[in-house]
Amino acid sequence: MNSLDRFRKVNESFPMTDQILEHKSRGGKVFGWLCTYVPEEIIHAAGALPIRIIGYSHEANLDDADAHLYINNCTFSRSCLQLGLEGEYDFLDGVVGGSTCDGARRLFDIWRQYIGTPFHHVLTVPRKYTERAQRLYYDEIVAFKKHFEEYTGVDISDEALHQSTILFNESRSLLRRLYELRKRDKPPISGAETMEVLNAAYRMPKEIFNEWLGELIGDLESSDRACSGRARVMLVGSVLTNPEFVKSIEDQGALVVTDELCTSTRYWGDPVIIDNDRPVLESISRRYLNNFPCARMYPSDERFNRIIDFAKDYRVDGVISQIVRYCVPYAHDLPLLTDRLNGQGIPTLGLDVEYGTSGSGQVATRVQAFIEMLEARDK
Amino acid sequence: MTIERMNNKIDSIIRACRLIRKMNQSGPNARKSDILYYNMLEGYYKRLLSAHDNNNLIAAHTDFFPVELLYAMDIVPMHTEVTTWMIVLFTGEIENILASGSELGLVSEICTPHRGIAGAYANGVVPRPDMMLWSNLVCDNTAKSGELIVEITGSKGYFLDYPFKSSASEMDYLVAELGDLVGFLERQSGRKMDWDRLSHIVGQMNVQIELMRQINELRKAVPTPFSPLGFLQLITADYLCPGQPEAIAYLETLRDELSQMVEAGEGAVSNERFRLMSFWLPPMHMMGFLDRIAEEFGAVSVTEPFFTFWGEGELDPGKPLESVARKSYIIPAMRMFGPMDERAIGSIVDCVEQYRVNGAVYYANIGCRHTCATIKLFKDVLADVDVPMLTIDCDVVDPTVTSEDEVRGKLEQFFEMLEDR
Ligand code: SF4
Ligand code: SF4
Repeated sequence: MNSLDRFRKVNESFPMTDQILEHKSRGGKVFGWLCTYVPEEIIHAAGALPIRIIGYSHEANLDDADAHLYINNCTFSRSCLQLGLEGEYDFLDGVVGGSTCDGARRLFDIWRQYIGTPFHHVLTVPRKYTERAQRLYYDEIVAFKKHFEEYTGVDISDEALHQSTILFNESRSLLRRLYELRKRDKPPISGAETMEVLNAAYRMPKEIFNEWLGELIGDLESSDRACSGRARVMLVGSVLTNPEFVKSIEDQGALVVTDELCTSTRYWGDPVIIDNDRPVLESISRRYLNNFPCARMYPSDERFNRIIDFAKDYRVDGVISQIVRYCVPYAHDLPLLTDRLNGQGIPTLGLDVEYGTSGSGQVATRVQAFIEMLEARDK
Repeated sequence: MTIERMNNKIDSIIRACRLIRKMNQSGPNARKSDILYYNMLEGYYKRLLSAHDNNNLIAAHTDFFPVELLYAMDIVPMHTEVTTWMIVLFTGEIENILASGSELGLVSEICTPHRGIAGAYANGVVPRPDMMLWSNLVCDNTAKSGELIVEITGSKGYFLDYPFKSSASEMDYLVAELGDLVGFLERQSGRKMDWDRLSHIVGQMNVQIELMRQINELRKAVPTPFSPLGFLQLITADYLCPGQPEAIAYLETLRDELSQMVEAGEGAVSNERFRLMSFWLPPMHMMGFLDRIAEEFGAVSVTEPFFTFWGEGELDPGKPLESVARKSYIIPAMRMFGPMDERAIGSIVDCVEQYRVNGAVYYANIGCRHTCATIKLFKDVLADVDVPMLTIDCDVVDPTVTSEDEVRGKLEQFFEMLEDR
């Protein structure tokens, strides 16, 4: 399908995609963000292009990153750093991170020390959802905006923020529509294909992305594509960007119908609710703190309940939790999450993986056994 | 589960402390500070064991939790990570509790102090806490360990959210979080916060911090008077008994002893050759072995920038809650929690100059990722001031990660290299 292939093409030229190149060639600035708690709208409202810093979507040699971050940091942060150390992110004008987890904050620290990106900013991200936490995060967002304005020399108006918010909300709503299609008994798009679309979302201007995604949804709605599998599965856990990994699960006979990943549902989960009674910046900061939570947030049941709601909504038979080794926030949550899902009669398979893995070998064997178990339960 | 079984690890710690204390007392070169140190430890664990008999609640808590608030309300603290170290240090047994942690579903990448304590609670070998208090200071393990322990032990929980940096709004946030914590403690214990007592403890904390600074000054002497791995005792005093009379008695006595040694030109080891900077914790099960190596090679840890090198500033007993918040920003470890900025890196260079360091040892605890991520950075910072750094892969409590032979081999080579320079 042509409208799907063009997202794949964007990803083929990662990290410096044609769209980024195009933006740069017009004199535009590009800023990388390290975690979903960084509000892209602020970067966009200054006329810059926000892109997500991610690592190789395949297993790669990480020797330099191992030396800089040590082997006991998650392969995601090491993979990102490896690309940075190799100069693949030299086109960035700045990096924005958050105090989200040890992997992300140390990636920021080491990046700042060893990679010559000109602008750096790290946000304090509270771990609670209280009113007090909302106020603190708002202050942090205001401070970031100020720092960003000083660096770029652009005054970010409320109107510009408002327009950016509308644009990013549009992406969120389109991605939600794409996911709605996956609720069907036989969805017109597979889990692996969906991941190609999501990956492109971080690497191109949202103006173009929205247009393309709208067309893809139209094509899918009117097509007779139908993906099927022996069990409907939800993927949860650490960051994941390799469509091959999802494909390897689907190749075993599972149909991946939804997920809870910071590179998918947790990215587009909630819109910014524009409330004319409060500054648009506050609406943005509230959205980012209250969005579909990462395992770093407290209490964890907020995340577990969202997962359970998704699992029910998408009628999943089982949940596959893939946790990148040394991803401590997600690893800590697994015993409790498994318990909560069991309580709902939803079995969980826990996979320890390295970021970028394609999921062959042992992973495939375990997934196969899990699907067989799910099938047997159904009978 | 019998009471004997429930308490046996803590009992063992108490018995071991008592034994060491008695051995110290009867020895010809008895050091009063050592006796006071073991006295402090013994008292800490005895209070834990008898808490319920004395109608006091037990609050388990993670690293750097502001236990001053607990002492002010007669709630008995139980430091989770330190208790795992102590179990290893004094009983040598860790395998079972780590295995129990794994059975709970905690994977091997979760650091052993946290896997261990969760296993210890699941096994019932340490007293069940009435409350679990935890915070994100200093890492993801401290931030994420509380909820599972609440579930295993059926206790009540409070998560204290530490802001990452120290802007005015972040300080306000922390003070308000502490206010909520006080409310939580009052509800759980049915007791009111004794603000006068808290002010007194804060005042005593000033005394304690000042004593630690004075001890650091004395450690600058050549030869250095303080024992090669003595810093572990300094941090234990602060972690377990901040602002408490027994910690102050220990530190005062230690300061006086060190001061006499400095006057007499006496060193901690007979022939000081290497003045080391240490990062993080050596394996607890190797303490005796490392002490022997220190004596053999004349190698002493004289400074630990993120453990003992206190920041500037004083606490204000008139503002006890603000002071408890402020203390978090002057503790040495805080430089590792916030952004790894010039302040953090600068403290390494400062320590090199002030303590005349000629080598550094980085204990790379395999489960402790936020620290290990700084190995190369620290090595490079030290290389710029011509100080070589040795990295020892290890685990603070798991003896299977590295052997004494391996560590000896690495240290020998390192000392040879330092000597050749
Ligand atoms: S959430 Fe996990 S995988 Fe992602 S950066 Fe943090 S530790 Fe790494
Ligand atoms: S050993 Fe490291 S990871 Fe574990 S609690 Fe201590 S600081 Fe955190």
